[in-house]
Amino acid sequence: MRNLVIFLRRYFNFFLFLLLEVICIVMVFRNNNFQRTAYLNSANTVSGKLYDRYNNVQYYFHLKATNDSLVSENARLHNMLRTSFDSMLTGNIVKTDTIRQLSGDTMHQVTGMELRRYLYREGKVINNSVNRAVNYITIRRGRLQGIRPNMGVIGPSGVVGTVRSVSDNYAVILSLLAKSSGTGPNAFGVNSRLLRGREIGTTYWDGADPGYAILRDIPRSVRLQKGDTVVTSGFSAFFPENIPVGYVDTFALADKSSTAYTIRVKLATNFYNLQYVYVIDNLLKDEQQRLEDSTYSLTK
Amino acid sequence: MSILLRNIIRFVLLLLLQVFVLNKILVHQLISLELYMLFILLLPFNIPRPALMLLGLLLGLSLDMFMNTMGIHAFACVFMAYLRPFIINILSPQGGFETNMKTPSMISMGVSQFLIYVSILVFLHHLALFTLEVFGFGNLGYMLLKILFSTIASLVLIVLYELLFFSKK
Repeated sequence: MRNLVIFLRRYFNFFLFLLLEVICIVMVFRNNNFQRTAYLNSANTVSGKLYDRYNNVQYYFHLKATNDSLVSENARLHNMLRTSFDSMLTGNIVKTDTIRQLSGDTMHQVTGMELRRYLYREGKVINNSVNRAVNYITIRRGRLQGIRPNMGVIGPSGVVGTVRSVSDNYAVILSLLAKSSGTGPNAFGVNSRLLRGREIGTTYWDGADPGYAILRDIPRSVRLQKGDTVVTSGFSAFFPENIPVGYVDTFALADKSSTAYTIRVKLATNFYNLQYVYVIDNLLKDEQQRLEDSTYSLTK
Repeated sequence: MSILLRNIIRFVLLLLLQVFVLNKILVHQLISLELYMLFILLLPFNIPRPALMLLGLLLGLSLDMFMNTMGIHAFACVFMAYLRPFIINILSPQGGFETNMKTPSMISMGVSQFLIYVSILVFLHHLALFTLEVFGFGNLGYMLLKILFSTIASLVLIVLYELLFFSKK
């Protein structure tokens, strides 16, 4: 017993070192799991407030770029409005489209013909990084303003990431710029598809360039062109259909026998000067999730 | 100014500098600017080793909180803090450094000794940091280049810091 005490005292520093390192390693691996929520992060009051103050100053330097991106987004949305379209039929046949008439108001919801599936909430980016292996974005909107973990996040021009953890007034978003190998249990990517051919693939970031990502699983039978648009598939519960992910830049087969292309995608979102994002609340997500979970548990 | 107060100020200053200045500067994907670990390097010679490691943990966790990298910087800092006394022992002349110099600096250790001391520990810190950050992605060349370039960048920053807060006490 006495020898043990002497032993422990002699190597006390080393054991303390081991203990501290084990604590750190446990924290790292608990945090690395994308599915789990983190405990201590920049959503807390101290760092959230500090980032908020800092952003108040540096926000002014980006006002011009922010304005430009918001205006171009407005133009895109105006082009999608129903009032921007006219009927091709200009002849003497008069058709009264009653559904069109009703669709502008709440009538559809009242009569049960339509129900809201996605709710968008805006959030101001107060911290952002692009040069890490896994990048996070902090926004000024949290639990009290309706943000929950695992909501999809998009920017004015495309997909941004998913909500990782929330505090009362802040939320931390796992950016699409999270280095991933594209497969495996910890893989992080966006379910995407080609706008033209509707082939399904997964977009993930390889950690090399914050402007580009990799799209995999697109079969080699597809005829690709530089500039083809890649959009969200709508299969995951995070994002609605047809949100831009990026544009095809270069594509190649890994080797002669491979059946799928490896496509380099220019990301639609410019992560360097992100100022505003929209957090997407999928109101039917719980139902979809429950159904999928119960089906998976049946097959196990 | 007492050593305690000086170190507390340095802790806060370096943390803020790291979070709000250096992390916002984007040089290249392979270079990440790190200066915060200078706090550990500049602690007094005679600080007890457990205190050194606990301070490393505190510093690392504070930075991890801001950067959402739970535990990664803390691991690297504790690693560096544990090895610091060994490096100082190797580098110190017979009978230790002059007793009236309490903290490591270019004056107390000599320019070349200080640079060796700093570069070894910064390299070890970056080795631990980036091994853990890029862990499991199997890209060894990328990792080694990032360690190398970031170490050089940190050394430049440390020398600049030392020149800026140059004092002959």
